[in-house]
Amino acid sequence: MLVRLAAERATGALLRDHGTLYLVDGRVVHAESPAAPGMDVLLTTAGRLPREGWDEAVDRAGAHRAVGRFLVDSGRLGDGELEICHLGAVFDAAFFALSPTSGPTRFRYGVGHWFGTVRPVSAEAVERETLRRRELLDAVWPYASVDTAPVVPRPAAPHQGVGARRRALLAAADGVRTPAELARHLGRPAFHTLLDVRRLAAAGLVETPLDAAPDAAPAPPAPAFPPVPPVSDPDIALLRRLRDALEAHL
Amino acid sequence: MTNVETALKEAVAIDGAIGAALVDYTSGMALGTIGGGKELDLTVAAAGNTDVVRAKVRAMEMLGLDEEIEDILITLGTQYHLIRLLKSRTSQGLFLYLALSKDRANLAMARHQLKKLEADLEV
Repeated sequence: MLVRLAAERATGALLRDHGTLYLVDGRVVHAESPAAPGMDVLLTTAGRLPREGWDEAVDRAGAHRAVGRFLVDSGRLGDGELEICHLGAVFDAAFFALSPTSGPTRFRYGVGHWFGTVRPVSAEAVERETLRRRELLDAVWPYASVDTAPVVPRPAAPHQGVGARRRALLAAADGVRTPAELARHLGRPAFHTLLDVRRLAAAGLVETPLDAAPDAAPAPPAPAFPPVPPVSDPDIALLRRLRDALEAHL
Repeated sequence: MTNVETALKEAVAIDGAIGAALVDYTSGMALGTIGGGKELDLTVAAAGNTDVVRAKVRAMEMLGLDEEIEDILITLGTQYHLIRLLKSRTSQGLFLYLALSKDRANLAMARHQLKKLEADLEV
């Protein structure tokens, strides 16, 4: 659907179960997902921008869809900084918005987003990156159950090092918060948090819920021979004759 | 203050540059690439080099070195690959990746220019 919309250079909002993608002329200009922290969380939680600064920008520039521009023009953010933060947020939300779902996909023509256009990305790039991210998660630790379960830390092995970023994540993991909640709490992109949680789980520093079965686990190969029924009284005489015959033959 | 595109254009203007990328090293995503061409797929290089950065960060943690990586140099037969970590004020970890042709590049100059570029990008 996204590819088709890109081909017809559509403008509007693509609504899916886990998020929304905004397009202008078939290119992705913004994305939102309840699972991914928005620009406001990323900027204010890290202390980059005071909350009032963000609110002011939305109040004053939201109506003419130029919040991003306003943040730069008022000197609160650098040009490159806005672009990088926005791109990070867009790809993060798109990852969830484009996740496989059984729900409906709708497109509303002409709908725009109040943040305004920063740097449009091609729909193919968004789709390619989303696929790459999905594969990366499974390459790290193929247990999708850790993505949604509360994060429960486990004690580290002696001399097992944990990086500063993941230490902060473990410190915030109280056994109740899920990865999405941790991302919001720490002001980090949700995909980055998922990836960190999967890496921690692979290193044994986070519990992997027990009922989990690996996503990519191949079905056990079908047995080559039908299972042999248990025999209670083996025919010893027959087996002896068989053995003797084999020995004579070889 | 420059945006990503200008920064990357300046990076490939460095003598001997083959290609450059701005990479988010947690996810391995290239936020922008320039140059490269057939012999060097920068998006693949971006994703692959995040492992280099992560391995080095881990090695330093294990050694108990409380330092930050400024840059990483990889020397090949005909190329230099320079990785410069950006000190971002938001929580995203980024690095600039620059591939240089060994016989045309001046390494000290390239490092210096990359440093200046980082300051301009204001992240």
